[in-house]
Amino acid sequence: MLRFVLQRVALTGLMLFGLVCITFAVSNVAPSDPAALAAGPDATRDMVETIRREYGLDRPLPEQFVRYVTGLLQGDLGRSIVTTRPVVQDLARYFPATLELVLLSMTFGVLIGVPAGMLSAVLKNRAPDHATRFIAVSLVALPAFWFGILLQLLFSVHLEWLPTSGRLDVATPPPPPVTGMLLLDSALAGQWGTLGGALSHAVLPALVLSFPCLASILRVNRAEMIEVLSSDYIVAARAHGVSRLRIICVHALRNAMLPTLAIIGLRWGWMLGSTVLVETVFDWPGIGLYAVSSAIAGDFKPVMGVTLLIGLNFMIANLVVDLLYGVLDPRLRTAQ
Amino acid sequence: MTGFTIGRRGAIAAGFGAAALAGAGPARGFERDGSRKILVFAGGQPVPVLDPHSRYDWSTRMIQQSVYDALAKYVDDPPQIVPWLAERWEANADQTVWTFHLVGNAKFHNGDPVDAEAVRYSFERGLRMNKGVAWMLKDVLPPENIAAVDARTVRFTLTRPMPSFLTFIPLWFIVNPRQVQANVAGNDFGEAWLTANTAGSGPFRMRRFEPQSVIHMDAVADYWKGWPQGEQRRLSGVIFRIVREPAARRALLQRGEADIITEIPADDFEQLKSARGIRPEDHRGLTTFAITMNTTKGPTADINVRKAIAHAFDYDALIQIHNGAASLMTSPFPEAIPGHVQVPGIPRRNLDRARQFLAQSRFPNGGFELEYVHVQGLEDPRRIGLALLNALQPLNIRVNIVAQPWPTMVARGSRAETAPDMVSVYVTPVSTDPDVIAGKYHTRAHGNFWGMHHLTDQQISQWVDAARVETDEAKRNALYADIQRRVVELQPEIFGMLANRRWLMRDYVRGFQYCPLRLTGEVDLHPLWIDAA
Repeated sequence: MLRFVLQRVALTGLMLFGLVCITFAVSNVAPSDPAALAAGPDATRDMVETIRREYGLDRPLPEQFVRYVTGLLQGDLGRSIVTTRPVVQDLARYFPATLELVLLSMTFGVLIGVPAGMLSAVLKNRAPDHATRFIAVSLVALPAFWFGILLQLLFSVHLEWLPTSGRLDVATPPPPPVTGMLLLDSALAGQWGTLGGALSHAVLPALVLSFPCLASILRVNRAEMIEVLSSDYIVAARAHGVSRLRIICVHALRNAMLPTLAIIGLRWGWMLGSTVLVETVFDWPGIGLYAVSSAIAGDFKPVMGVTLLIGLNFMIANLVVDLLYGVLDPRLRTAQ
Repeated sequence: MTGFTIGRRGAIAAGFGAAALAGAGPARGFERDGSRKILVFAGGQPVPVLDPHSRYDWSTRMIQQSVYDALAKYVDDPPQIVPWLAERWEANADQTVWTFHLVGNAKFHNGDPVDAEAVRYSFERGLRMNKGVAWMLKDVLPPENIAAVDARTVRFTLTRPMPSFLTFIPLWFIVNPRQVQANVAGNDFGEAWLTANTAGSGPFRMRRFEPQSVIHMDAVADYWKGWPQGEQRRLSGVIFRIVREPAARRALLQRGEADIITEIPADDFEQLKSARGIRPEDHRGLTTFAITMNTTKGPTADINVRKAIAHAFDYDALIQIHNGAASLMTSPFPEAIPGHVQVPGIPRRNLDRARQFLAQSRFPNGGFELEYVHVQGLEDPRRIGLALLNALQPLNIRVNIVAQPWPTMVARGSRAETAPDMVSVYVTPVSTDPDVIAGKYHTRAHGNFWGMHHLTDQQISQWVDAARVETDEAKRNALYADIQRRVVELQPEIFGMLANRRWLMRDYVRGFQYCPLRLTGEVDLHPLWIDAA
């Protein structure tokens, strides 16, 4: 097991280096002059050069790459030319907001997707199954950007049930920062009003972000449950008089969850990437919004930093899923 | 231990339950702070940096102007320069020595006096950093030529006459040297610290700075300049919310979660301006919209093609796209800029003349395609592109409308070889001086986004250089009149329109003062107040 973990960690390192190479190349191929953009439209040429020197953009590209990789090994992702702060500081500021959103979305996805998948499988080809499948396909197909705005209009403008955007009412002071996740921090501080406010702000963006994930989990879980429910050991369990509920929730679900787990791992990385759109619509100040603002300003270091962070998360999620496979499926442990 | 765990769980559950009650209800109207009110302003542009000598654009400058003071300030429409930290000033005959006399009661937020040394330090800092505002004065004002004559007198000695000097003064904010120097790291002039901290004397002080989402400022109770609305009416503070999507900003205003919104699509403005409880502010702007044409390569290098295009363009469409809230340019200069003249013969739609010009070009029958580039995500320039496409069809000229990200568009336009055939460009002058507009047509403008036409005309460049140092106003205006006529003659761009500046606000917001020199959605927050119980 240890060897397996070490192999995967080494592979993750290699993949990350590949990601660094690709993001660096893509960032520098783009026809844009971040120094000129940061200097502003009125800046003279020597003002642009001042900024170019300050950020090392006057150096040859190979030298810039070596500097970047060297910095990376020391935990330095460079400085944002727009915010003028180290990218690491910016990421530390914005990542908790994204993590909070993704965790909440994933919770929605799993809590709704798994039971709905089970229900759909148990009631295969009946009305609830058709309805669930129709909803699942719709949720995958809906563009997050458009759907987010629609939900805003419905729940914020017309029904006035939920706030429009942001993480907290503007006049509400945030709780003392511990994790940077407002839900958790306000709970830890015992600020229940703040917690309620933060939750009401998070509901819409988290729902929009969760829908494709929810739909995937639902469909995979349904398919797996249908297969498992027709297998011999389930028939045997029925013959032994095991209750229907126990068969579905314990015997069948455990085996059906393996592919679902893989989907959750894949969707984790996908969700981090999708926050770009959702955070823009809901002005959720996370890494997605940070990446968009930086890209618009031609500020590549933050874009590269966000890409690496998402890539790293994706790889870690896959690693964790692989390990959980072993935990859930004894045959895999035996094989190793 | 167990008891604690259960209690915590119970409390968290209670908190989640409370969400339905406490959090689910929408905020109504402005925020309150005791008996005073907090105004909420929603705009789409973040404020990444607070340092007044490092960066400026509309949202950043609005916050800077709220936290800092300058020697003078722009107010009113047409724009006037009024004394602020300086109570008066004078210049010598050739306008190379400027002396400013400071008010005696100004103080920074930490109580330090705003004295001549603070002014000297701030200008020197801006010049030595060589960023942001430095371009305005760096060619004429070496840092060593700034002197604090006494505690209340500052003298600037310019290396050559500069009639525009005073027009830039309102844009140079004064920082507290003691606070900045205490936070200098290496040779960074305190820039890292001033990025997220403030050291000003303005009407507001920073309470909360979250560059991507919320900026909360508290009004300074004993602001040295006082409050025009009166102490009783003044706000407790202002919250600037960064809301990127126009639809979301609109929703905020409708729900009463924001008191003022800006950057409003024309259709949204029309729908909301008559809504109950909402008041529109709709003012003639200084921002010019033009379609620059590459004068160095392709069909648009031919002046007759450029003139044909300019005469075929549907100018009425510009006004329609803005639902009537725009006025056509009568010169390359906005009308509120001193020295503006209405140029006779500035093109308007006339297909016969357009065909005549095309017949004199190298492409008498058209038959070519032009690329029109606009900033990705902006709806108005895209629609203007469609109007252009439609207008050029009778000339047998095809138009390829291309949306590109701003950095890509600017990078392409910086070189004549890669600049698109046509680009939509908005330009807002930062001061009332005509030089900031005339400079668009100088060869030095090549490389800047407004110089994407890459026009090279020695006559214009000479006139611009001469006008820049001419202190006789009549002679200067004559030079600018020549420049305007010559630019129209060479047609480096389709001279479009001046779009109105627009805000929507709740009807209880009072004290709004329009000044066209503020950038895009920028508002002077100092005089605002809320007239509601």
